[in-house]
Amino acid sequence: MLAFLPDWVRPVADYMASDGLKGTARVAVISVLASLVVGVPLGTLLTLRFLPARALIRLYIEIWRGLPIIVTIFMIYFVLPKLGPSFRFDPFISAAIGLSLWGSAQVAEATRGAVESIPREQHEAAAALGFGWIGRHVFLILPQAFRRLLPPLVSLLVNIIQNTTLAQVLGAGELLDTGKRSVERLAFPPPVGIGEQHGIEIYGAVAVVFFLISFPLTRLAAYLESRLQREGS
Amino acid sequence: MVVAVTFDWSFVTDNAGELAQGLARTLEVSAIAIAGAFVIGALLGAARAHRLPLLSQLAAVYVEVIRNTPILVQIFFLFFALPQIGIRFDAFTVAWLAVMIWGGAFNIENFRAGFEAVPYRFREAGLALGFSRIATFLNVTLPIGGRIALPSSINTYIAVLKNTALMYVIGFNELTTTALNINALTLQTLETFTVLGVVYLTIVWTLSGLIRLLEARLALPEER
Repeated sequence: MLAFLPDWVRPVADYMASDGLKGTARVAVISVLASLVVGVPLGTLLTLRFLPARALIRLYIEIWRGLPIIVTIFMIYFVLPKLGPSFRFDPFISAAIGLSLWGSAQVAEATRGAVESIPREQHEAAAALGFGWIGRHVFLILPQAFRRLLPPLVSLLVNIIQNTTLAQVLGAGELLDTGKRSVERLAFPPPVGIGEQHGIEIYGAVAVVFFLISFPLTRLAAYLESRLQREGS
Repeated sequence: MVVAVTFDWSFVTDNAGELAQGLARTLEVSAIAIAGAFVIGALLGAARAHRLPLLSQLAAVYVEVIRNTPILVQIFFLFFALPQIGIRFDAFTVAWLAVMIWGGAFNIENFRAGFEAVPYRFREAGLALGFSRIATFLNVTLPIGGRIALPSSINTYIAVLKNTALMYVIGFNELTTTALNINALTLQTLETFTVLGVVYLTIVWTLSGLIRLLEARLALPEER
């Protein structure tokens, strides 16, 4: 099939698939894992009655949810190195940290809602069985809350995958950035490029790739949400 | 490890004018986009909720395409790809157009959900009183459904405002681009980002507070 395509397509597609898509996957995987690891405990702690802890976590959530993610990413990239050389991160990691701050705030808020939806009796039963606060949440409350947490987590996954494109502003070489480099290189006269504009095809292809990843996931999130509603739990 | 972090307050006075201009452009672009997203959302949301043939399907495709592709790619497409086929927009046009198209898609879903949440018996009552279908929509479904959709649509408007920061990639001089340009000249990074963060959080937190006020104020009588 590729034989019918113009000559420039093959190397561009290879470059974007091997370098770009890999970079996108790297940022997405780090961001999703970090968002979960930070967000779930924060959201659970948010159900504590201890006010100072709640206030601090609330502040964390409102700051990283309130700032445009692109501003957060620039902050990580430009401001943190001022604190010392060990805070200098490459564009990939900077973008992943920025996305994780935002993502963990989203996860924390969703976790709080899910944990609070578990009836009091479950807490009391667990306490009666001798579980402490941590054991009660880890073994009984969070597993039950997970069902309610699943739809927003799938939506978050879609959002993080789409927002990995923000790494482009730091020139991180993820999918959109490799696309931009390809468009700019092709526009150069030979021998560097071929002196042609191919933005429509290349940015269109980037959009199609993201659509093919996102669409099934948004359907899945909607299905999980409607199943939860039907069960009325 | 002790880091000497000093905040140079003269940064604020020195750059206040330029930053205010950037903020004004952010607000201007946001206002245009929000107004457009409201109109798109109300019209096509009604088409979706009432299953108007063709228009409803077209709106569904529009919503899915926009929601399932990154907004940054949409901005790139409008600004860097379309000139290839002779369609050239300046940065200002792309700035409001891109976030309007994006916000409109999300707003269609907000309004669709709001209109669908209006109990059928309300519309039945309107029709029984002799209102036409359009009059029933304007007098019953829109005021009630619009109120139900208000909190989620304000969330979309806040997201629209935050997304104007992405216009950095097309070099449009809104708040973020202005701040980064100042940063590049002065290298007062800490000051730049403190001011930038404070301004965004002030706007976003104010608007979020407004939602809570409105929610209490606009709650339907039977929910009070």
